[in-house]
Amino acid sequence: MNQFLNSRWHTWLHKANPALKIALVMSMFLVTLFTHSLDFILYQALLFTVMLFALSGHPPWKVFLIVLPFILIFISSSSTMILFGKGDHLWWSWGLVRISEESFHRGIHIGFKSVAFAAEGLLFVLTTSSVDLFYALMQKFKLPAKFAYSFMASIRLLPMVWEEFQIRRQALQIRGIRARGGLKGVVGQVKLYGVPLLAQSIRRASRVAVAMESKRFNRNRTRTYYYPSKYTRYDVYTVLLFGTVVAAAYWAGEGLAVFGITDVRYR
Amino acid sequence: MQEAVNRGRGRGLKLSDLLVTVFVSLVLGVVYHFWSSVYSLFTPFFKESNEIVYGMWFIAPTLCFLLIRKPGIALIAEVAASHVEILFGSEWGIQLVFYSIVQGLGAELVFAAFRYRRFTPGAAALAGIGAAAGSIIPDIYYGYLADYPAWLVILKYVLRAISSAVIAGYLAYGLVKAVEATGVTRQLRPLQDKDYQALED
Repeated sequence: MNQFLNSRWHTWLHKANPALKIALVMSMFLVTLFTHSLDFILYQALLFTVMLFALSGHPPWKVFLIVLPFILIFISSSSTMILFGKGDHLWWSWGLVRISEESFHRGIHIGFKSVAFAAEGLLFVLTTSSVDLFYALMQKFKLPAKFAYSFMASIRLLPMVWEEFQIRRQALQIRGIRARGGLKGVVGQVKLYGVPLLAQSIRRASRVAVAMESKRFNRNRTRTYYYPSKYTRYDVYTVLLFGTVVAAAYWAGEGLAVFGITDVRYR
Repeated sequence: MQEAVNRGRGRGLKLSDLLVTVFVSLVLGVVYHFWSSVYSLFTPFFKESNEIVYGMWFIAPTLCFLLIRKPGIALIAEVAASHVEILFGSEWGIQLVFYSIVQGLGAELVFAAFRYRRFTPGAAALAGIGAAAGSIIPDIYYGYLADYPAWLVILKYVLRAISSAVIAGYLAYGLVKAVEATGVTRQLRPLQDKDYQALED
């Protein structure tokens, strides 16, 4: 879909089974979500970002470009908590703004958390194609074929909607339709574009469904797969790697603590 | 005849229901993706002012449910819409899939509470608020909601609820009404008694 994001080379994270990988990333997500120790989360964010450089299959400059928005993510997710969060050791206050030691630490904790989420997500997103994911989910997690193929067919149909959108825009231009200001104008615009695009999407999707069913899609109980999805030794490596990274982050958080704060929550 | 009627009443999801839901949701997912720029546009006015446009991120479940009118659609729609972020290789990818599950469930539960029989703007607005309520659950652990002053939390979530009711509720309803006028929705919905009555006349 996105040329820029096609990996240059395949690492063994690419070769791991996508179904297993999504389960792993989801569990990493839960670990990160329920981490309240500032040092643990700092090392999670750090190590998962390092993993991106090592395993995404992109040259370092490109990974650098990809992780550059992490700064923005960090600032936007931490600022509200830093400025307004609860805390007793007040550093600075002005009107409603109350920056305290606790709120600052909790704020940067949320910032590191967001970065860790982003890095975990990107590790999955940059090493897995959607088709592989759905084939794996069908074969390994018993996702019904009608779900998987609905996604895969829809992904292929998506560029057509973009084309239709442009045609619609040109058609409206040629008819000399101008956007009016105000809320009414906005609602009018939504309808001018939304209704034909939605109607056409519904027609197209149901036609595709009829076509698939007329070719006896999913009539048989058993199906064969063009891409067989297997577990390989790379899956073992991946599980071990993720386990090691979390353990290393935990150990570093204990042994190499920068902040020495084990729970950022307000008591 | 009677057999065909009974078969036609099946409320399970058919391939065409799923395809329409997923496709429409992916299209909305593209809107979701670009909506983050609108969201940032609304940031500077006052604290949490960007919550005014948050409801757009809950429009897929209500819109698709109003179109297809079957159980399960709302949840599938929100998850499908979030899948676009994976396609686009966004930093928020996996996180949003996780959020979409609780948000979709929030909307789904509201429609379920109406036994999947209410297709009114009010029900859609409530479902939008349900999705917003779902989004609070991960926020509690992720954003440490309990550690914000009360005024901030209330401001944030009241604005979000209003936005969800307006955008995911009334706007979605308006769009579906307008799409209904084109006639495409007739092939989507489960047949009702009056449709069979028409055969007898």
